[in-house]
Amino acid sequence: MNDGGRSPAIELAGVSRTYGARSPEEVRALRGIDLKLAAGEFVSVEGPSGCGKTTLLNLLGLLDSPSAGELRWDGTPVGERSDRERSRMRLERVGFIFQRFYLLPTLTAAENVELPMRALRRPRGERHERSAALLAEVGLTGRARAYPHQLSGGEEQRVAIARALANAPGLLLADEPTGELDSANAATVLDLLGAARARRGATLVLVTHNPEVARRADRHLTLRDGRLVGDRREA
Amino acid sequence: MIGRRRPLRHARWQAILAVAAIASAVSLPVVLVSVGGGVAAHELAELEDSGYQIVVSAAGLHGIENAHADERTILGLAGVADAAPILSVAIDAFNATGGLTPVLAEGVVPHEFTPTLGPTEAGLFPQPLPLADPNDTVHYANGTYAGPTDYQVLVSSTYAAAFHVAVGSRIVLSPSTNASAGVRYNVTGTFGTPLSLVQPSGAFAVLLLLSNLQTLTGYGAGPGTIVPDGADTIEVVVNPSIAVDPAALASVAAAIQGKFGAYTVTTLSSEASQLASADGVLTGFYLALSSVGLGVGLLFLALVLVRRVERERRSIGVRRALGISAGAVGVGIVAEAAAFAAAGGVAGVVAGYLVVEGLATWANATVQEAARLAIFTPLFLLELVGAVVGLSALASAAAVRAAWRVDMLEALR
Repeated sequence: MNDGGRSPAIELAGVSRTYGARSPEEVRALRGIDLKLAAGEFVSVEGPSGCGKTTLLNLLGLLDSPSAGELRWDGTPVGERSDRERSRMRLERVGFIFQRFYLLPTLTAAENVELPMRALRRPRGERHERSAALLAEVGLTGRARAYPHQLSGGEEQRVAIARALANAPGLLLADEPTGELDSANAATVLDLLGAARARRGATLVLVTHNPEVARRADRHLTLRDGRLVGDRREA
Repeated sequence: MIGRRRPLRHARWQAILAVAAIASAVSLPVVLVSVGGGVAAHELAELEDSGYQIVVSAAGLHGIENAHADERTILGLAGVADAAPILSVAIDAFNATGGLTPVLAEGVVPHEFTPTLGPTEAGLFPQPLPLADPNDTVHYANGTYAGPTDYQVLVSSTYAAAFHVAVGSRIVLSPSTNASAGVRYNVTGTFGTPLSLVQPSGAFAVLLLLSNLQTLTGYGAGPGTIVPDGADTIEVVVNPSIAVDPAALASVAAAIQGKFGAYTVTTLSSEASQLASADGVLTGFYLALSSVGLGVGLLFLALVLVRRVERERRSIGVRRALGISAGAVGVGIVAEAAAFAAAGGVAGVVAGYLVVEGLATWANATVQEAARLAIFTPLFLLELVGAVVGLSALASAAAVRAAWRVDMLEALR
């Protein structure tokens, strides 16, 4: 694989994100966030609904751009890069895991896992081999040809984790990854994320409002009303 | 589970419908051009296969009024080898049992008629034609119908088989359904009638002396009287060296035209040229007509693609979130459109072929005959499918634009 596994050191300096600026529906999702994430950290982001957790995750993963302030990867400003450049950075260096899995319904489990590799034009043989290895890693050997509607919620999330790991990203972003799972499946998914992060030395940022889930992280960020109100590290 | 399966099933149905729309649009030009081109090519081949090179005709029914005299005039021109006046009339034939059958009767001068047969036709007729008075001069002498006649006739093999008529049989030929107005003829031979030469409705045919048919049907005068001596055409055979020299052929045609200002004189090469030109115009018309169908098919494809983008907003958002660029998403849609178009194009070619085969098997006789002549040109079919695939890029433009306008964050909510 490529060196996409290199974890970026991320820095947010006075970052704000406002939606519908100067309109009656204006929403200030994030306000003046100052934050540094070291490569390889396991960070949880907690807070009540609507406090800006997902917005922060979207900014970290280059899905969105700050309205104000500066976002830097390895000291380089990336917030204002072109859509094409940010797409390429996401593809090579970021793995997303969504609360509702978001597998593509018309693709099999293996095809979903191969999707990011196809976008990087990996050879077919390498894609097949790696998707099979990743599905085995998340305990889904034999389910490669199943479509999402043929999988349980836990299985879907495991496929989503395999997909997120496809291009060996250095930054894993998980938005409430256990939000739609029972406790047994939630534990499995967290174990897999933890193991994947440890094996690859990737940075893992996990949004949750479940204290049990957050407890697994090394560092805990707390947001309230778009502001960073807590930043605690485990001893 | 059933509800979650729906997008997959829906996507498949959309794909099937898009392919079917393109297929039905492609099948139309396949049928029109292959059958139209086949008929034209067949007619052209028949022209090129003819034993004669110049046709003299006149306006109106049986418009040549002095067939025998005109024949002699033409034969007197330099470069002319034979000149065969021909009269074609639908008459009634009564067989031995009294059964009445409409037949196509052709009146010919046997000695002049035989050289006008091309290689294909020549094998269908006995050589020489077993009709007494090969020059049709005994019965028709010195401009009057005065001599004796043997009342001999050749019948088509299909007529002979259908009514158990053989050489030596007698049939009555009549200009009307009244047998008493007819004349009894001796059958002296049969001739072949392939469907490509005589259309199904003309498969029952008879061949007899020109003067006999003229007097039978009233296009000639009665015994002892002066003509009108009617015919439809005079087919002219030129010397072999002239036949292959367009300028010399045109010169002979001009000489004939000079003798008969009121008649139309055409060379088969000019007819072939006109036919090829008409075929080109018809093909253009077929393609113009087909472009309407193709336009509708591509519009349907465009709608299906836009609908798919609308339904797959979330999938597009997910792809974008994973790092697949907007350009790559667009390329994916164009590739999908091209795949639908290619599949539809190939299916349309197959469907068109099957339609033509169906017409050749189950349609009425005339359509069957045309369908059997269809020619499927691989290059044309390839170009057609290629054009459809190319145009699918245009059809995908709206869907690509819609995909580019999908708000990634909105789609992921």
